[in-house]
Amino acid sequence: MINILALETTGKYGSAAVITEDGRVFCASSETEMNHLRDIITISDEALKEARIDKRELTHIAASRGPGSFTGIRIGVTTARTLGQMLGIPCIGVSSLESLANQALERASRESALYIAPVINARRHQTYAGVWKACFTYGPDEGTVIPVFGEKQYMIEDLLELIISDAAPCGGKVLFTGDGIDAYQDIITEAFVSGGVSDQLVFADEEIRYQNAVSAARIAFRNAAAGQTVSYNDLLPEYMRLSEAEQRLREGTLSDKIRKAGQI
Amino acid sequence: MKDGKFLTLGIETSCDETAVSVVADGRGILSNIISTQIGIHTQFGGVVPEIASRRHLEKINDCVDRALEEAGVCTDDIDLVGVTYGPGLVGALLIGVAAAKSIAYACDIPLIGVNHMHGHIAANYLEHHDLEPPFMSLVVSGGHTNIVNVPEYNRCEKIGGTRDDAAGEAFDKVARVIGLGYPGGPKVDKAAREGNRDAIAFKRVWLEPGSYDFSFSGLKTQALNYLNTERQAGREINVNDVAASFQEAVVEVIAEKAVCAAEEFGQKRIVMAGGVASNSRLRELISEKASARGIEVLRPSPVLCTDNGAMIASAAYYAYQAGERSGYDLDAVPALEF
Ligand SMILES: Nc1ncnc2c1ncn2[C@@H]1O[C@H](COP(=O)(O)OP(=O)(O)O)[C@@H](O)[C@H]1O
Ligand SMILES: [Mg+2]
Repeated sequence: MINILALETTGKYGSAAVITEDGRVFCASSETEMNHLRDIITISDEALKEARIDKRELTHIAASRGPGSFTGIRIGVTTARTLGQMLGIPCIGVSSLESLANQALERASRESALYIAPVINARRHQTYAGVWKACFTYGPDEGTVIPVFGEKQYMIEDLLELIISDAAPCGGKVLFTGDGIDAYQDIITEAFVSGGVSDQLVFADEEIRYQNAVSAARIAFRNAAAGQTVSYNDLLPEYMRLSEAEQRLREGTLSDKIRKAGQI
Repeated sequence: MKDGKFLTLGIETSCDETAVSVVADGRGILSNIISTQIGIHTQFGGVVPEIASRRHLEKINDCVDRALEEAGVCTDDIDLVGVTYGPGLVGALLIGVAAAKSIAYACDIPLIGVNHMHGHIAANYLEHHDLEPPFMSLVVSGGHTNIVNVPEYNRCEKIGGTRDDAAGEAFDKVARVIGLGYPGGPKVDKAAREGNRDAIAFKRVWLEPGSYDFSFSGLKTQALNYLNTERQAGREINVNDVAASFQEAVVEVIAEKAVCAAEEFGQKRIVMAGGVASNSRLRELISEKASARGIEVLRPSPVLCTDNGAMIASAAYYAYQAGERSGYDLDAVPALEF
C-alpha cells in the first residue's frame, strides 16, 4: 500500500499533492504568492480530503528539498520531517529540478524535446539548473528523464555554452523550463541565435513552467516503490549554495564591519 | 494527559536557540531541551540569520524527540503545542512554527502561537509556583526594555518601552567602547563592582514626567565623549569607574520607573524577565526601592531568563486556559508587538 503526501514550496506558489496506490493524484495549491508557511497545513489537508485519505493512512511524506527559495525549502522540509516524525512514517526528498523536468516531459513530444533544461533563477546571472534527456523510446525508460548535466549552480552563460556546444549538436530540441526563463529568456534566446541553433530552442508553457507538487508526488511514488526513503531526521534541504556569510568566511572576505553588525 | 496532568509542548526558535520543553499544568518542567548555536555564530561576530535558520531545521525534530524522552512521555500524552511566532528572526521563527503546526495537525491537538516576550514573563510561573497575576513586569533583554502591566493570566499591557536602544544593547555597546568586549552585560556588571558609580556624571534620561518610556542611545555618545576628553587631557582612564557610572545611569532609571509603575497601578509585585534581569546592581537597586514602598521583587533563575521552550509552554498553557486558539494558518511575525 502506498499513499503519499508530497509538498512543494520551493517556488512562488506552494502546493500539496496526495498520490494513492492506484497512481491517482489529488492536488491543492496556495492562491497567493509566498504564503507557504501560512497555507501549508491547509493545502495538505485539502489534498488529503480530495483523495479521501485520512492522514493516518499515509505511508510516506515527501517534500521538494530544493533548490529554490531558501525559506520555501525550509517550510516544506520542516513540515515533511515533522509530519513524518509524528505519524511514524518515512520521508522522501525530491529534487525540484528533477520534478520540473518530469513535469515538462508530460506535455512534451519527441518533436518538441530531446533535452530538458529546468532553470531556477538564483539572481545576478546565477541559476540552479540541470539538463536531462527525455526518453520517448518504448522500453523501461519510456516517459522518464535521464540526467545529462548534473544539478548545480551555474552562471546562465556557462550553462548555455555547455548546452549549445555539447547538447545542441545532436540536433534535437532543447526545452527550457522553470522560473529562470522569466529572468533570462532574452539571454537564452540570444545565445541560441548567435550559436546558429535558434530553431532548436523551446520554452515550456507558463502553466507547466513552475514547481508543482503533482510532479513531486509522482517521483516520490517511484522512489517509495523502489524503497528509496529516509527517516525524518535525514530529510535535508538541498540549498545548492552556502550562506553568504560562510562563502565569505571561506574566501577570507568577511569584512570587520559586517562581522560586527552580524547582518549577513 | 499523563498522571492527571495537562501536558504542553513548548517550542522556541526565535533566535539562536533551538528549544523544546514539556511542561505539566503550565508550571512543572518535565524537560527543557536547549540546543544552542552560540559556538557556530561566534566566528561571524554575531548571529547570522541564514545559518541560524539552517541549523534550527537540522535540530528541531531531534529536540522534540529528546524533550519527549526526557519527560518520559509519548506524543499521545501531549495535550497542547505552543510555539513562539514572534518577535524574532523570520527564518528562525518559521522552523518552530512549521514544526508546531505539523505536530498539532498530525496529533489532532490544539495549537497556540506565543509572543516571545509574554514567554519571558511566564518564565516566572515556572520558578515561583505560587505567583499569580496581577503584577507589574519588567522585561529587560538584549532587544527589549519594557514595563508591562499583567492584570491577569494571558494579558500583558505594555505601559512603557525603549524609544531607541534596549538596555542590554546599551550594555553591549558601551562595553565595546570601553574595551570590555563581548558579552557586554556581564562584563560591565563585573567591572562595575570594582568601580565608583559616582565617578562620572552620566546623564539620566527620564523623558517627559509620567512617561514609562526609556532612551539609552545617548549613553554611548556620552561614554565616547568622556573617553576623548580624558585622553586629550592625558589622564588615565579607569574602566571600572566608567562601567560603574554608566551602569548606575541605566539601572537607576529602570528601577525607579518600574517601581513607580507598580505603585501607580497598585501592584504589590514586580516580576523581572530577560537577560539584563541578571544584573546585580539592578537587582539590588530595584529591591531597595521596592521594599521601601512595600513591593516585592521576583525573577527567574538564569537558565529560565534566557530563551527556552518551557516559558513558551507555560505562556501557551495560560492562553489556552483563557480560551485562545491559533489556526493552522498561524504565520511567523518577526516584528510582533508586545
Ligand atoms: N549581568 C548583566 N548585566 C547587564 N546586562 C546583562 C547581564 N547579563 C546579560 N546581560 C545582557 O542581556 C542581554 C541578553 O539577554 P536576552 O534576554 O538573551 O536578550 P535577547 O533574547 O533579547 O537577545 C545581552 O544584551 C546581555 O549583555
Ligand atoms: Mg529572548
